[in-house]
Amino acid sequence: MIWKQALPRALILLALSLYTAYAAGPFLWIASMSLRSTQDIFDNPYALPLAPQFGKYVTAWTTSNYGVYFTNSTVVVVAAVLILTVVGAMAAHALARYKFPGNRFVFFLIFSTIIFPPQITIIALFQVLVDYGLFNSLTGLTLSYVALQLPLTIFLLESFFARLPQDLFDAARMDGYSDWEIFWRITLPVGLPAVATTIILNFIHLWNEFLYAVVLITDENKRTLPLGIMKFMGDQLQDIGMIATGMMIAVIPVIVLYAFFSEKLIQGMTAGAVK
Amino acid sequence: MANVTLDRLTKRYANATDVAVSDVSLGIADGEFMVLLGPSGCGKSTTLRMIAGLEPISEGTLTIDGVRMNDVPAKDRDIAMVFQSYALYPHMTVYENLAFGLKRRGLAKEDIDRRVRAATQMLGLNDFLARKPFALSGGQRQRVALGRAIVREPRVFLFDEPLSNLDASLRVSTRNELIKLHQRLKATMIYVTHDQIEAMTMGTRICIMNKGRVAQIGPPLEVYRAPADTFVASFLGNPPMNLLPARIEAAEGQPLVALGAHRLTLPGVDADALLPHAGRDVVFGIRPEDVRERRAGGSAAEIAGVVTAVEPLGAETLVTLAPDGIGCELVLRGGRDCRSRVGERFLAAFDLSATHIFSAETTRIIARGGAVPLSYPTAFPIEEVRA
Repeated sequence: MIWKQALPRALILLALSLYTAYAAGPFLWIASMSLRSTQDIFDNPYALPLAPQFGKYVTAWTTSNYGVYFTNSTVVVVAAVLILTVVGAMAAHALARYKFPGNRFVFFLIFSTIIFPPQITIIALFQVLVDYGLFNSLTGLTLSYVALQLPLTIFLLESFFARLPQDLFDAARMDGYSDWEIFWRITLPVGLPAVATTIILNFIHLWNEFLYAVVLITDENKRTLPLGIMKFMGDQLQDIGMIATGMMIAVIPVIVLYAFFSEKLIQGMTAGAVK
Repeated sequence: MANVTLDRLTKRYANATDVAVSDVSLGIADGEFMVLLGPSGCGKSTTLRMIAGLEPISEGTLTIDGVRMNDVPAKDRDIAMVFQSYALYPHMTVYENLAFGLKRRGLAKEDIDRRVRAATQMLGLNDFLARKPFALSGGQRQRVALGRAIVREPRVFLFDEPLSNLDASLRVSTRNELIKLHQRLKATMIYVTHDQIEAMTMGTRICIMNKGRVAQIGPPLEVYRAPADTFVASFLGNPPMNLLPARIEAAEGQPLVALGAHRLTLPGVDADALLPHAGRDVVFGIRPEDVRERRAGGSAAEIAGVVTAVEPLGAETLVTLAPDGIGCELVLRGGRDCRSRVGERFLAAFDLSATHIFSAETTRIIARGGAVPLSYPTAFPIEEVRA
C-alpha cells in the first residue's frame, strides 16, 4: 500500500528533478565559467571554479565598458517597459471596457502586427528613425522597443482585463469615481498579476534584444549589454570566459526582477484556471 | 429619502431587434420597499441600472423627488447599489471597501471612520475590518456590500439580486436582516429578484415584469390573489395557479363556464363581465390551495380524475391529477395525511368562489370569484415604515 502511494510521488519528484537539472544546468555552467579563465575552460570545460576569479567581474565592468552598456540597457529597457505598461494597460482597459464602433477592428489591427517578423520592418524602421533624427539614440531605441512589444502587451492585458467583472467598475462609478480614477484605482491594482506578467516578459525580451540594438545603435557609448557581449566574440578568438562573465552580469537583473514578481507572474499565468 | 418616478422608461440597445425595457411607468413612494420581480431577461435589472445611471435611458423620464435624472451621472444621483456579485474591491480591506466611496466625496477622516464603524457595528463586521474580501465567507461579503451602501447614507438603495449567491439557510436569515434594515433606515429601496418568496416577504409592493413590460404592480398578497393576467398567475405561487382551457356559454342570460363536461356557475362573478365572452375560449384559473379532496358544501364543484403524481412535502402533499375530459393536468394541495397513490381515482373539489377567468386571446383577467378580495393589507405598510 505504501508503495502505491509513494511510487507516483517518487516519479513526479524524479521528473521534476530532471527538468530542474535540464533548466538550471546551463545557467550553473555559465555561472561556473564566469569565474574561470578562458584557458582554464578550454582545458576542462566542466570543471568547478576551484580558484574563483571574481576579478573578472571587475575587469568586465571597468575595462570592457560593461558599466556603460549596463546603464544604457537599464535606461532603455526600464523606460520602454514603463511606457509599455502604462500605455498598454490604458489601451487594454479601453478595449476591454468600452463599447465603441470598431473596437474589435482596432484590437485585431493592433494584434495583427505581431505576425510580421522584425526583420521585415527593420529597414523601414531604420529609415523612419533617420528621418526623425532618432537614429543612433537611446530615445529612438526605446521608442522602437515600445512599438515592438506594444501589441503583445495589449493582447495579454486586454484578455485579462476583459475577465474582470463589470460590477467592480459599476460599483466604482456609483462610488463617484471617474473613468480615469477607475483605471488607476481599480483596473491596475486588480489586474496586477497580468501587469506583472507583462512587465517580466517585456523586460526579459528587451533586456536580451539584439537585432534592433545592433541595427539602430552605432556609437560605442550607446551600446546595450547584448552588443557588449559580442565584443568578446572575434573572428579568430572567442573569449569564452569573459562572455560567460558578461552574460552573468546581464542575467542578474532579470533574476532579481523575476524573484520580485514571480508570485504575481504565476497568478497571472494561472488566472482563471481555478475558481 | 426620496420619491422615485419612472415615466414610460424604455431601453433600446443598439443592433437589438427587441426593446429590453418598454414603457415602464412606476411610482415609488418615500420609504417604500419596491420589488421588481420577473424571470431572467424580463428587463428588471436593466430598469434598475437605468435608475442607477449605469445604463443610458433611451426614452421616458426618471425623476427623483421631482428632479429629472436622465442625464445626471450615476455618482451625482445620490443612489447606492448592492450588486449580485457584491462587487467588493479585492485589493482593499473591508474598511477600505466601505470608506472608498466616502473618500471620493471628500468627507473628513473622522466622519469616514465614524460612518464605517457605525455600519460595521450594525452589520456585525467589526472583527473583519482588516480582512480582504477573499478571506470572508459569502454571507460576510454580502454584509460588506450592504455596508458599502449604508455608509453612503443615500437617498435611494438599489439591490440587484443580492441574495442569489447565498445558500438557502443564509438567504432566509439575510432576508430577515434586510427587512429589519429597511424598517430601521426607513429608506426608499428598490430590490430586483427572480425569487417570488423574497418578493412576497420583503416588498411593500411588487412590480412584476415580463418581456420588458410591467405585468402588474401591487402589494404582495394582491398580486398573488388577484393576478392581472395568466403570466402573473403562473409566475407567482409554487406550485403555480392551475390554468385550464375552458369556454364561456350563456344559458337563460346567465354565464356558465364549460370545463370539460362540467358546466359551472361561478358565485360572486360579475355576469356582465363574462357574458360578452360567451362562445369564446377562456382560461380557467384556480390556485392549488383552492382545490381540495372531496370538499363538500359551499360553492364547490367536484371533478374526478386519475392521480399522476404524489409529492409528500411533510406539511402538505402535492397531488397532480389528470381530470376526466379536460386535457391538462391539475395540481392541488392535499393534507399532510393524504394517502393517494399514483393511478388511483381521485375526486377533487373546486372552491368556485376563488376562481379566475382569463381571456384566452389577450391572457388578461376577465372576472374573478367573489371570494377574491379587492384590496389587501401589506406586511409593511409605508405609513408604518414612516412612523
